[in-house]
Amino acid sequence: MDETFLIDPVSTIEGKSPRELAWARFRKDRLAIVGVAVIGFYLFVAVFAPVICSLLNISPYRLDGLALNDYGLPKGSFGGVSSSHWFGVEPGTGRDILARLMYGARVSLLVGFAATLVTTTLGIVLGVVAGYKRGKVDAVIGRMTDLTLAFPSLLLIIALTRPLTQRLESMGVPEGNPARLTYIVLVLGLFGWVYVARIVRGQTLSMREREFVEAARASGAGTRRIVFKEIMPNLWAPIIVTVSLALPGYVATESTLSFLGLGMLPPAASWGAMLGDSVRYYRTDPTYLFIPGITLIILVLAFNIVGDAVRDALDPKADRQSI
Amino acid sequence: MKRRIIGAISVALLASVTAASCGGNSSETSGGTPKKGGTIRVLTINEQVSHLDPQRNYTGDDLAFAGSTMQRSLTTYKMVGGTAGAEIVGDLATDTGVVSNEGKVWKFTLKDGIKFEDGSAISCADVAYGVSRSFATDVITDGPTYASSYLDLAGEYPGPYTATAAQQSDYDKAVVCDGKTITFNLKIPVADFNYTTTLLTFSPVPKAMDTGEKYDMHPVASGPYKIESYEIGKSLVLVRNDQWDPTTDDQRKAYADSIVYEFGLADATIDERMMADAGDDQTAVSFKVQPENLQRIFEQDSALMKRSSNFLDAFVTYTNLNVKNLSCLDVRKAIYLALDRDALRKAGGGPYTGDFGDGFVKPALALDYKKVTPVDGLNTDGTANVKAAQAAMTAAETSCPEVAQHAKSGLSFYYPDTDIWKKSLAIWIDSMGKAGIKIKPEAVEASQYWATVLNPETNYDIARGGWAPDWANASTVLPELFTTAGGFNLTRNADDPDYKAFEAKVTEARNTLDRVAQGKLWQELNQEVVDHLWALPGTFTRAQNIWGSRVGGTEVWAPNSAFIYGNLWVK
Repeated sequence: MDETFLIDPVSTIEGKSPRELAWARFRKDRLAIVGVAVIGFYLFVAVFAPVICSLLNISPYRLDGLALNDYGLPKGSFGGVSSSHWFGVEPGTGRDILARLMYGARVSLLVGFAATLVTTTLGIVLGVVAGYKRGKVDAVIGRMTDLTLAFPSLLLIIALTRPLTQRLESMGVPEGNPARLTYIVLVLGLFGWVYVARIVRGQTLSMREREFVEAARASGAGTRRIVFKEIMPNLWAPIIVTVSLALPGYVATESTLSFLGLGMLPPAASWGAMLGDSVRYYRTDPTYLFIPGITLIILVLAFNIVGDAVRDALDPKADRQSI
Repeated sequence: MKRRIIGAISVALLASVTAASCGGNSSETSGGTPKKGGTIRVLTINEQVSHLDPQRNYTGDDLAFAGSTMQRSLTTYKMVGGTAGAEIVGDLATDTGVVSNEGKVWKFTLKDGIKFEDGSAISCADVAYGVSRSFATDVITDGPTYASSYLDLAGEYPGPYTATAAQQSDYDKAVVCDGKTITFNLKIPVADFNYTTTLLTFSPVPKAMDTGEKYDMHPVASGPYKIESYEIGKSLVLVRNDQWDPTTDDQRKAYADSIVYEFGLADATIDERMMADAGDDQTAVSFKVQPENLQRIFEQDSALMKRSSNFLDAFVTYTNLNVKNLSCLDVRKAIYLALDRDALRKAGGGPYTGDFGDGFVKPALALDYKKVTPVDGLNTDGTANVKAAQAAMTAAETSCPEVAQHAKSGLSFYYPDTDIWKKSLAIWIDSMGKAGIKIKPEAVEASQYWATVLNPETNYDIARGGWAPDWANASTVLPELFTTAGGFNLTRNADDPDYKAFEAKVTEARNTLDRVAQGKLWQELNQEVVDHLWALPGTFTRAQNIWGSRVGGTEVWAPNSAFIYGNLWVK
């Protein structure tokens, strides 16, 4: 007999806040927990890359000519996998692939999170303003959204890389990679805010007519209070969903740009640049192609799975068994 | 402009070849007797032939292509593989010319029965007109300028398009036509001018059919092939020219019925197609093998080894130092000693890249080459001598603190933005770091590289270089690379205290008629450049060709380091 059940029947019907409900739903999704663990692992590795590298005695920049044969190809099987180079070495230079992957993760995650921060901030501000003010302001922001969506963004990003990076440098951003990264984050933000803004605007529009907002207004609350205390707290769910699905896209875009030679400048490590280089060796050193490719796929997949789980957990209309 | 087109083709011209020629581990089995017919294909990453206009053609492979198929010049290198390919014979001219007045007057007599593709006879006036076009450098760009530096003109001559009557008559005094005889009056003695005339600068152009800049798209043929169609980025199709009379030409064999140049292919695609050897590709050739496939083609796959060649070409690669900024020998020495040339060579494909060079003149220029005494402390195996480099930097602290400081705070390194160069850059940064020198990388889009560094406004500290002689005389190397008048001097060495003496000696060498004495001067000058380290010697390069299983006649034409395209045949 379970005595507690009998003694304290109230606890089973205790009220749960929406946040607690969502968390409970999320926790039940095993795949999502694995996804979170994977992302956590990548983050850990990225943040502590220098420490891990020094512990393993590897470096993303140190050349190792001894690991290469006379033709510059890695000695040994699987692209030169050995006890000193766990993932093998880069053909031509002998740089350690594991170390370059870890340093590449820093770039990918930095760009992913920074671009998300920029898009979300821009999107929320413009979305709330459009939805709350309505009328002319909404029309102007709406046209801006349409215009941004009409741009062939990837083409534009590629075409403007060199001129705009130089512009940033002349404006005082440190030359080289800082300028490149700033550019990538800024343009991703410039083209990415619309998705957040559209959702936020829609939510704000419907929210501002709801009874509790009417009530707040009737009791004399100012615009600032209504926006920050009444509307905003109700926007987080859709925003988190949009963001968690957009982030892996930014990580992949950074790799695409690096693949095309427009991302990080050499000798800095980046997954996209590694992929771009490794394509040449798909026959002579296939390991070199697979390792950065699989690394990127795993991270993007993990983000997508977590994103899906977050959406399922937060969306009250989600077609899941209730808890 | 025997610059190497980055990542693309070997561009080269050179004569007296001893070591060059015969492919290293290749098997030059032509297999069977040559026969007529079939189509030969050439696969390339280039979007077009750089220039088909004879007066603008100045890259080794293009010269070999146009020269062995469509265009004839006054003289030509023998169209055979091996050392015999370095010998010259009369082409449109009956012989290799008659020299008089101590090398200042050269006479050539044209053969009978030579015709353009429209059937009109090739006259002396057509040759003289062709040569005159090379002076119009605003329209006829990128071509060799030997005619204008050698011909004895009283005043300026802007080429035939804009010349006044007086200027034209001045030119006509330097290049004189008398029946079938053409006479060149030179302002300086040129003992080997008949090698200069192998360049297509000395190819005839019919004045009535000259379309100026557009002539590049459809030059009039004088050889056994003419253009049927030419589409940039797609293909160039050559077919037989029935006006060419084989009795006037003992060099061009014209076996294939047509030759098709396929443009704009990805480099990896070319290698794949050549290795697969399927269908039409069995009669295709390619003049470049990517580093990642070298080992497979030349060591692992015996079938591929039989249809590929690996040979010392005419090229020398090196590194230019901007002497204006790096006006201190100790710093330049530190850079040279710290550089891991062995790692750089590996990144490009190891021994297939070439041998470590000791200077800027290749041993194939037998008369002009003498082993250079290297800088003290240089490791002959190509690895870095970090200790010596550090010592040189320490010396620089006292001898030239400002330049040393510049090297420590960052030298701007201009490199072409390609996969291989990104790796070379990593090696440079690593090497220099060990000597306390910092590298500031500046990536330049590959096709814009030469234009960028040749621009006097570009303030690089370090830039790459690559060059091949135009014929077997270092007069086509050292003056071009290291005097202010040279067309490819990226060292900016004019303010070096020793420059004036160097230039005076170059002039002396140029005016020396005795070829052996001249060669000795070039040897000394080569040594002087290395002693001053205006540029850092790099590699005496090798090149690799690959061809389909049904292609014959694939010997390397040593002077151009290229196939003798017109003599390829289908098995």
